[in-house]
Amino acid sequence: MSECINRRDFLKMGGAAVVGGAAVTAGCASAGPAAVSAGFKAALPKAKGPRLVIVGGGTSGLTIAKHAKKEYPKFDIVLVEKRDMYSSCFSSNLWYAGLINLEFLADHSFLDAARNNHYIYFNATATGLDRAGRKLITSEGEIDYDFLVVAPGISYDYNRIGVKDEDTIDALRTGYPGGFISPTEHVTIRRKVQEFEGGLFLQYVPNGNYRCLPGPYERACMIASHIKKNKLKGKVLVLDANPEITIKKDGFHAAFKELYNGIVEYKPGSAITGVDLAKKTVKTEFDSYRFEDASIYPGVRASTLIEHLGLMDAKSPQKEALISQLKYNYIGDERVYVTGDSRPHPYSKSANTANTEGRYVAKVLAARAQGKDITWYSPRTVCYSMVNANPPEAISVDAGYVLNKEGTAVGGFSPDTKLFEKRDAAKGRGTLEWARGMYRAMFEG
Amino acid sequence: MHRRRFVTLCGGSVAMLAAGLRGVRAEPFVDFPKVRLVDAAGAPLKAAALATNDAYVFHYPLRSFPCFLINLRKPAGEPREMTSEALAYTWPGAVGTQKNIVSYSAVCTHELSYPSKEGSEIRYAAEASPLSGKPGMIVCCAHDSIFDPAAGAPRLHGEARDPLLPVRLEYDPAEDAIYATGLAGTWLLDRFLKSYRRQLIAEYGAGVYKEPVGATSAAVLLNTYSGGAVSTC
Repeated sequence: MSECINRRDFLKMGGAAVVGGAAVTAGCASAGPAAVSAGFKAALPKAKGPRLVIVGGGTSGLTIAKHAKKEYPKFDIVLVEKRDMYSSCFSSNLWYAGLINLEFLADHSFLDAARNNHYIYFNATATGLDRAGRKLITSEGEIDYDFLVVAPGISYDYNRIGVKDEDTIDALRTGYPGGFISPTEHVTIRRKVQEFEGGLFLQYVPNGNYRCLPGPYERACMIASHIKKNKLKGKVLVLDANPEITIKKDGFHAAFKELYNGIVEYKPGSAITGVDLAKKTVKTEFDSYRFEDASIYPGVRASTLIEHLGLMDAKSPQKEALISQLKYNYIGDERVYVTGDSRPHPYSKSANTANTEGRYVAKVLAARAQGKDITWYSPRTVCYSMVNANPPEAISVDAGYVLNKEGTAVGGFSPDTKLFEKRDAAKGRGTLEWARGMYRAMFEG
Repeated sequence: MHRRRFVTLCGGSVAMLAAGLRGVRAEPFVDFPKVRLVDAAGAPLKAAALATNDAYVFHYPLRSFPCFLINLRKPAGEPREMTSEALAYTWPGAVGTQKNIVSYSAVCTHELSYPSKEGSEIRYAAEASPLSGKPGMIVCCAHDSIFDPAAGAPRLHGEARDPLLPVRLEYDPAEDAIYATGLAGTWLLDRFLKSYRRQLIAEYGAGVYKEPVGATSAAVLLNTYSGGAVSTC
């Protein structure tokens, strides 16, 4: 029913990121941004306290905006978000099988979040950073800050599948999106699923510490549910760059075998090494596969904004931020922080992790604004994966983390980490209620 | 308490929540009109007849606010001081001849999961659950929180920062009757009403959801109340 995840699993799961994390103490900063002035001030009310500027209105940024104000009411908080409409990446797989509608994902307002939690939502794109002058440059002007949190999430890294030319990258991004960043990708993938009439639907799983480790397998299950329900003559081919399913493997293998025998074909150790889009073919080391349609998740790196703002650790395999593992500040600058999926930590890049981590970082910020300090504590990764749509059934994991012996970096899963890999309807309902709780956690007061 | 005063109290605390920022604040028990617990048919509930394998759901002090009534399999702990990020109060302990009947909000203090007619992520697990590994815990499977109802329902695991909100009970040994008489503060009630306003209007009707529950409140086993769709974590 449940079992502990051991250290070996942990290293397999986040091996690349562990390397990146270890590199932090010896890391080196990337070149700073070239442009450091917008030439005009952002149209914002005058700060009424220490100004905390947060870049990114995803799970991490929204959580920190809410809780930093609760922890230290004197903060004057500005959330800089480039989107003017929210739609969550988490739970989007459920849409493909018709378990939720778009309203479930998107009926959440940045304006309501700001009003409920007493901060400013500023609809702009961050473009530059002047750390010496403590100015964030945005498309809507410069913002002076006392503290800055950068939480921009991830970008795709097509180099990981051997694709380097911009034309092919654009064709892949447009035609076969990964579906783990933007809402418009979700809309495209849903259309693909609904228009699928048969043949082979390719779902690729990258290596490294990619966002939402179980996400590609869950999506394979949701597409397979759709195929099964509609009696289509097709199947989902899961090409996995990893030697084994990265998390909840027993639960996913059981679903593949018991629910989707002949509908899901799982091929581990199958890293894509090249694509031929004219022939709708991908190549691995030993084989090539022709697909009817696909979602190619090419692997991730920290958001390119981290590099552009000069916050990247040049030695990080996933180009993540050069920050303190325990306090999240950029090394050498306690005014600038990087959180969420651009962090170098080997945490699962999941919404629950970002939410619980965000609550901790809010305490760090509040403490430092008052000249105090706090003790590190672990985020929590509570993660459901729907494996059946008819009826809805899910599996889950509840993981915490511990520091290494030196107490300097994250070293493994906590002893109370548990896997719940026997799928059932109760966890299917839990999957939906988990998401509703996350929305409440970010948008309500 | 008059209805007008009751509504004013709720309205005032909603405003306090909207304006207030988190921090420990003393919230002594708030008196609400005394309500007798009855069964689904309206007959007075008898403490001696309470099941021990599941929690009962009843609504108090409003028609829409769900609470648990639990008949523990062993006597509860002594009254104790409870503190958390939001609350400081004295948990009054259990009632009944065996001191094993307790009551708390059925709304999780983490992100407000609560029992509905469609299902419930929060439950009283009389037997050891996969998540808690020991019997007699309240578990909320939405985000894996565990609370100990025999000790004032402090959080033992998960991201909840506050204990489940206790409901003050009164026991009448002459009739073996149970009454609800108050809540340990109203912050959770306020947050519940604000968070679920749209759903509660749709379910109960505009304004109806925040009406006092009346002289009696029906207590129904959770598994029955939620149509058998109860969490298993």
